[in-house]
Amino acid sequence: MNRLKYFLALLTLVALLLGAFAGLAQDEKVLVIGWSENTDAYDPANGFTHSTHIVNHVTYSQLVTFPDEDASRIVPSLAESWEISEDGTVYTFSLRQDAAFANGDDVTADDVVFSIQRLQNFNGNPSFLADGIASVEAIDDDTVAFTLPDPRPSFLSEITSAVFSVTNADVVMANGGTDAEDAAETDTAGAYLDSTSAGSGSYVLDLWEPQNRTELVRNENYWGDAPYFDRVIFIHMPESATQKVALEAGDIDLAFDLQPDQIAALEGNTDVEIYRGIGTLTHFVIMNTEEEKSGPFANPAVQLAVRYALDYEGYKTLWGGVKPATNMTAGFFGNLGEEAAFSRDLDKARELLAEAGYGDGLDMTLEYPDMVYSGVSFNTNAQKIQADLAEIGINVTLQPGEIQVALERYRSGDHGVGYWLWGPDILDPLDFLSFMPPGKVATERNNWQLESLPQDIQDAIAAAKVASDPDERMALFTMLQEYTMQHGPFAPFNVPEVATAYRSDLLGYIWHPHWLLDVSILSRAM
Amino acid sequence: MSFFRYFVRRLLLVIPILLGITVVAFIIANAIPADPINANLPPNALNDEETIAAFRKKWGLDKPLHEQYLTYLGNLLQGDMGTSIKTRKPVADDISSRLPATIELATLGLVYGTTLGVSMGLISAVWKNSLADYVARVIALIGISFPVFLIALIFLNVFYAQLGIAAGPGRLHPIMRAPPTVTGMFTIDALLNGDWKTFGNALSHLILPALTLALYISAIISRITRSSLLEVLNQDYMRTARAKGLRERYVIGFHGMRNSLIPIVTVIGLSYGNLLVGSILIERIFAYPGIGFYMFRASTSQDFPAIMGVSLLFAFIYVGVNFVVDILYFFLDPRIRIA
Repeated sequence: MNRLKYFLALLTLVALLLGAFAGLAQDEKVLVIGWSENTDAYDPANGFTHSTHIVNHVTYSQLVTFPDEDASRIVPSLAESWEISEDGTVYTFSLRQDAAFANGDDVTADDVVFSIQRLQNFNGNPSFLADGIASVEAIDDDTVAFTLPDPRPSFLSEITSAVFSVTNADVVMANGGTDAEDAAETDTAGAYLDSTSAGSGSYVLDLWEPQNRTELVRNENYWGDAPYFDRVIFIHMPESATQKVALEAGDIDLAFDLQPDQIAALEGNTDVEIYRGIGTLTHFVIMNTEEEKSGPFANPAVQLAVRYALDYEGYKTLWGGVKPATNMTAGFFGNLGEEAAFSRDLDKARELLAEAGYGDGLDMTLEYPDMVYSGVSFNTNAQKIQADLAEIGINVTLQPGEIQVALERYRSGDHGVGYWLWGPDILDPLDFLSFMPPGKVATERNNWQLESLPQDIQDAIAAAKVASDPDERMALFTMLQEYTMQHGPFAPFNVPEVATAYRSDLLGYIWHPHWLLDVSILSRAM
Repeated sequence: MSFFRYFVRRLLLVIPILLGITVVAFIIANAIPADPINANLPPNALNDEETIAAFRKKWGLDKPLHEQYLTYLGNLLQGDMGTSIKTRKPVADDISSRLPATIELATLGLVYGTTLGVSMGLISAVWKNSLADYVARVIALIGISFPVFLIALIFLNVFYAQLGIAAGPGRLHPIMRAPPTVTGMFTIDALLNGDWKTFGNALSHLILPALTLALYISAIISRITRSSLLEVLNQDYMRTARAKGLRERYVIGFHGMRNSLIPIVTVIGLSYGNLLVGSILIERIFAYPGIGFYMFRASTSQDFPAIMGVSLLFAFIYVGVNFVVDILYFFLDPRIRIA
């Protein structure tokens, strides 16, 4: 008995020492990232999560892409040039001659056609994104044409997404893939594409253990500039506190999901660098335009009073970032910007309420999901909204809900007044039309009907959907944003900053509004 | 009662319990007024009727509840636990790839917890109301009243991030690869493969989470050991043992401990079940890919097949552990054999 105990104690001691001092030096240049993985699939036709996009952004290439640092313009990728037909419905792309897949095969127009048709017919989570493509055909080996049902100026931005990755048709078909119309039932390539990639990106997917680890190895046949790291390992650490300690200990190079207080605690740590940028998530109050659901808050004057009553600077103190003028995502082309945004004016707000007949105060129930998203606490913000509105006589009752339950009410348009956030579906001002009737947030979730708008606004919405001339777009989106600021049922109040912490020897980190993290541009100081 | 009859009777009782568990788990999972659509489809896909219909059809969510249950039960009886909505792999495969990690952790946790708990209980009982007793009682109080996730975070911060004397999250250092799978338990697989480096690394990664688990169960074990032993220490046969000149350590070790074992074994048995199940939070904080980690994800994404599968597994473990404890009684206590 005693001997056993001594043995166990000894074993423990040895293990402790081994763990702390084991030499793990190796020749490969390895990048280790701690993240909270939410991958549903790595098959481009089936995966639609942040972590899918981070990986597929480097394991596959798309026809066009954004610059490394932002989403300000479209730059060539597999397509070296493209032409848009007069009527704006046909996009013809010329492929690069030197592009090759990781196995050495040439990237051809047929691969593009196969990938898009497989996406459309697969009925996977992201397939709906390809609904707006009427047809795609190969003109010759290096030329491919997309036809849209209607002109859509956001098309090029849309296809920068990793969902529109070009896959190696031969390899995918050899592993059970098909682009036939019954692909939803007959395609069996999912398991293959979840364990390795069939693309032409700078890395190849080497291993995926769901909810544990994802490993990428460098693609030796990559047609672009070779990335610095030989191997990239993503470790699933769902608790951000775990990511923080692992970063401090140096076991991971980058902690992807730290919360603001954890970032603050790392300030002054010389081993750690902190990156800050402007995010793309807009936090807003939404007031149902149906009176039986939201009562007085269906009244545009009351809605405007709420916009005047919120303490925008206060939210910025809490979460950094910018105050939004409208629900158009910060930094987008045509965005009115922070200068145009509301400033708190309690007298004006009280005046508006009095004119609307609510000078003696009124009650509001604020529904919101009880969650912390990207480090921002909905509870904290809801309490601040409650305090802000109390100052103009609105008595707010908070009604936090379990996320799935609250979502249900929000998505079905059953809420009265709610607090939610919005991340853009596409990085284009067109995304803002979700907040104008008949867009999904405006109408499906908030019952704001197109017919209720003045004719010139209705016309402007229709024109904004097809306009491609930058000056014309600027004018239209300015007009629509100004209209919602005065008459809309939304009160956007904050776009929090994004912050990421990484080991100080890591170089080149940039937070991208679309793919968030590009591991192929990272390197390590010598 | 013969051992065989005792064994069969206990075994037959397991069936209705497991059946009941499937019903309860199914009802609870479905009673939440939320739609798995929201949890499993990307927000932008939720306006697409076709995607939603395809999702419901694929996972059988378009059928009435009782039909869903009967289908599940039918498949289960054929050994098919269904496919996880999240990982898209058979639940049985998911469980078999994660359970060994949890068993490895829980077993080491039990070894630590039992050692710590029984020693503290013994000290408390033998030196009742001494300083040592008070210290042991305070440790027990901390172990039982501190939330495990807090202890886990404190351990990680102090021993791993600050002092650098313990290994951190995960089962291995990030850049190390798992040993070839035999049992799924990294320490054993590494040994079988003669890979001492991986063995040491895997074991070192088990220490902090196992100690966290151990602290929690040792509290209960030490309290039970103390009270059970105190009761025995006052018995006549203890005085007799001393009177016949036995050394004190034999008196306590053989006469005392032996006779106070029944409640201790019971609580250790139950603790093992608790360890397997209670590892949910600990595994999450230590980013340790075991069954608790899997359950957490399944619950938060309303992954019905996975929730049902793990609930059944947990129930089975509890029932199994109780069963083993019952059988142990049979050998430990002659009175049960006669009754």
